Amino acid sequence: MIRRGHRAMHPGPEGVIHWLIRHAARGAPDYLSSRLEEEWLADLESRSSALSRVRLACGCCWATVVIATEYAGTGVSTTVPAAAVRGYVPRTEKNFGYFSLGAGTLFLILGLHAALFSGLVTTFSNPASIEVTVLPGR
Amino acid sequence: MGRKDTKVRMSLQTLRVLEAFLENPTLQLAGADVHQRCGIASGTLYPILLRLESAGWFVSQWESVDPSSAGRPRRRLYRLTSTGLRLASEVFASFNRGLLA
Repeated sequence: MIRRGHRAMHPGPEGVIHWLIRHAARGAPDYLSSRLEEEWLADLESRSSALSRVRLACGCCWATVVIATEYAGTGVSTTVPAAAVRGYVPRTEKNFGYFSLGAGTLFLILGLHAALFSGLVTTFSNPASIEVTVLPGR
Repeated sequence: MGRKDTKVRMSLQTLRVLEAFLENPTLQLAGADVHQRCGIASGTLYPILLRLESAGWFVSQWESVDPSSAGRPRRRLYRLTSTGLRLASEVFASFNRGLLA
């Protein structure tokens, strides 16, 4: 159970990090989400540098994708108490070749972002030159 | 319910996590501790911990501290079970046999 006393509002980047972790935990199966949120926020306290904290938050988002994907293949209802006893049922038999479904999705999203970013950089670094010719006598 | 399936996909990262626990099998480690020992990114680490816990290699429990007096939130601690210790030892023994063969 999350202790509400620790859920202070964090301004600025720290607030974004906390929001990311909470958002990531909410994406996990229902019976795991509160546990993961508390676990990840506690582990966040051990990270001192800002970069390390951001990496943890991003990693939690990715971990949720992996956990949710593995969980989805089991077909076990979140309301089944037996499943909640161990808390997690991995799916190991599904194989997407070299990449998992989650990794493939990540690479696709990263690729699209890279293409968009390079397109923007190319556009703004080489603005089209407009040549104005003033005709004499007019 | 049938017997729990203890089979776990053995990746290099999973082996590194197990190695961290095998250094002192009685030790309880939080995810942050494992990260410090192995350097595995959190996005990979937490699914591995959950996978191993689900397969019965690990058990986890909340740290028994009072967050208000400790000044920090309680951590989730993982430790090897006897089954996990036996299976992890077998995995590393088989790797060693394979390397020496």
